[in-house]
Amino acid sequence: MPERVLLAIGTKKGLFVAEGSKTRRSFDLRGPFSPGVAVYSALIDARGKPTVYASSCNPFFGMKVLRSTDLGKTFKETKSAPAFPKEDGRALANIWSLASGDGKKDLWAGVEPASLFKSADGGDTWQMVEGLSNHAHARKWQPGNGGLCLHTLLFDGKRVHAGISTGGHYLSDDGGATFAASNQGVGAGFNPDPYPEFGQCVHKIARHDDAPGRLYMQNHGGWGEWDGPGGRRPDIGVLRSDDHGRSWRSIAKGLPSDFGFPLVVHPHEADTIYVVPLEPATRTCPKGSPAVWRSENGGDSWQRLSKGFPKKDSFFTVLRDALDADRLKSPGLYLGTTTGQLWIGRDGGESWDCLFDSLPPIHCVKVATV
Amino acid sequence: MNRVEAITVEVPGPLRAASGGAARVVVPAHTLRGLLEELERRYPALHRSICDETGKVRPHVNLFVNQQHMRDREGLDTALGPGDVVIILPAVSGG
Repeated sequence: MPERVLLAIGTKKGLFVAEGSKTRRSFDLRGPFSPGVAVYSALIDARGKPTVYASSCNPFFGMKVLRSTDLGKTFKETKSAPAFPKEDGRALANIWSLASGDGKKDLWAGVEPASLFKSADGGDTWQMVEGLSNHAHARKWQPGNGGLCLHTLLFDGKRVHAGISTGGHYLSDDGGATFAASNQGVGAGFNPDPYPEFGQCVHKIARHDDAPGRLYMQNHGGWGEWDGPGGRRPDIGVLRSDDHGRSWRSIAKGLPSDFGFPLVVHPHEADTIYVVPLEPATRTCPKGSPAVWRSENGGDSWQRLSKGFPKKDSFFTVLRDALDADRLKSPGLYLGTTTGQLWIGRDGGESWDCLFDSLPPIHCVKVATV
Repeated sequence: MNRVEAITVEVPGPLRAASGGAARVVVPAHTLRGLLEELERRYPALHRSICDETGKVRPHVNLFVNQQHMRDREGLDTALGPGDVVIILPAVSGG
C-alpha cells in the first residue's frame, strides 16, 4: 500500500518536491533543485522503485533531464538530453513533457520545437522519433505564445496521442512509428478556416483507461466574439472524442469561459473531468474569482468548485501542466499558479487549501503515491 | 604541420559538474573551433552546455580568449597559441 504522497513542482526557479502522508494534511517541501533554472515538465514514475524526472530548461547552457531515485531527495542529470541530429538544423529549446512508456526504463519527451524523442534507458540516451519529428507538417507548425511545444503524450496500447501547440492533435496507431493529424472538429480561432486539418492550438489532452476511445481536450478557446473570416466559433475550447481522437465535439456549454490550459480526468471516474476556465484576454481567473470546474457526466454539465479559494481580487493563471490528481480513494487535486501558490483540492476538489503560498511561478505539478 | 598547443580552459562554477569538478581543463587546439571539437570528444556534457546540437555557441554563453570576446577576434576561427586561456562565461541576465 502506498504510504506517502509525493509532489514534483516545476517552477520558474527550479524544481521543488513536497512530501506528505496519505492524510495530506500537510506537506514538507524540499528544493529548489536545479536552482534558478526553469522546470517545465516533471514525471513521477511510480512503477516499481519510484523515479522522479524533471526537465531543467537552462537558457544559458541548454536543456537537461534530471533524475532522482531517492524520492526527490537528490537529483542528477542523466547522461544526455534529447538533441536533434547535427544535420537537422533545429536546436532544442525546451522540454515540455516527460512520459513513461511500456518498458520499465522507457521514457518519452515532447520538446520545443515540437518533436518527439524516446529513451530506452531512463533518459541516458535518446533517439528522435522520426514519424512525428519529421512529419510532413512539422516545418509548417507555428509557435504559440509559449513556444512551439509538444506538451502532451498519451499512450493507449499501440496508440500514441501527441498534443502540439500550435500543431494540433496527432495520432499514431503503430506505437509511434507514424503519425497522422487527427483534428476533425477541433477549431482554430486564429485561422481563416475555422476547422483546419492541423495547426490548432491544443492546450491539453487527457484520457482514462476505463473509457477506451474517449479523450478530452482543452483547446485554445475564447473565440466566441470573433467576427473575422470564417465567422464566430464559440465553444471550441473544451472538447471530447469518443473515437480515439479521430473526431471531436464541444463540451464547453455551461462553462464561464472555454479558454483554459489544464484538463484532468478523475483517477477513478472516467466521466469526471476538471478544467480551470480563464478569461481569454488576460488568461486569469474570471472576475478575479478562482474556481475549478468539474463535470461528472463527461462534459454534459459542469459544477463550479471554489470553496476555499479567494472570492475576489485573485488574478492568477494555471498553466497546462499545473493541475494533477492523486490516486487515493478520495483523491486530492493539486493546482499550481503563476503567482506561486500550490493549492490542494480535497475530496476531489470539493474544498481547497493553499499548501504553499510563496513559491516561484509554477509551471507544472505532478503527484504520485509512493 | 603546426604543433597543436595545450590550451587552458576556465570552466565556470555552474558547469564544473560537466568537467569532473575541474575549474580548468587543458586541451590541445590551435583554433577556438578546434578547442570546442576537442571538448566535445573529452567532455561531451560540457560541450553540450556551450554549444547547441547545430554546433552554434549558445546565445547566452560568452567565450573569451584571454580578455577578449571571440566576436572581437576571429570568432571560432580565432587562432590559439602558447599561453592562451579560453574563458567560458554565462552572459549576465536577470528576472
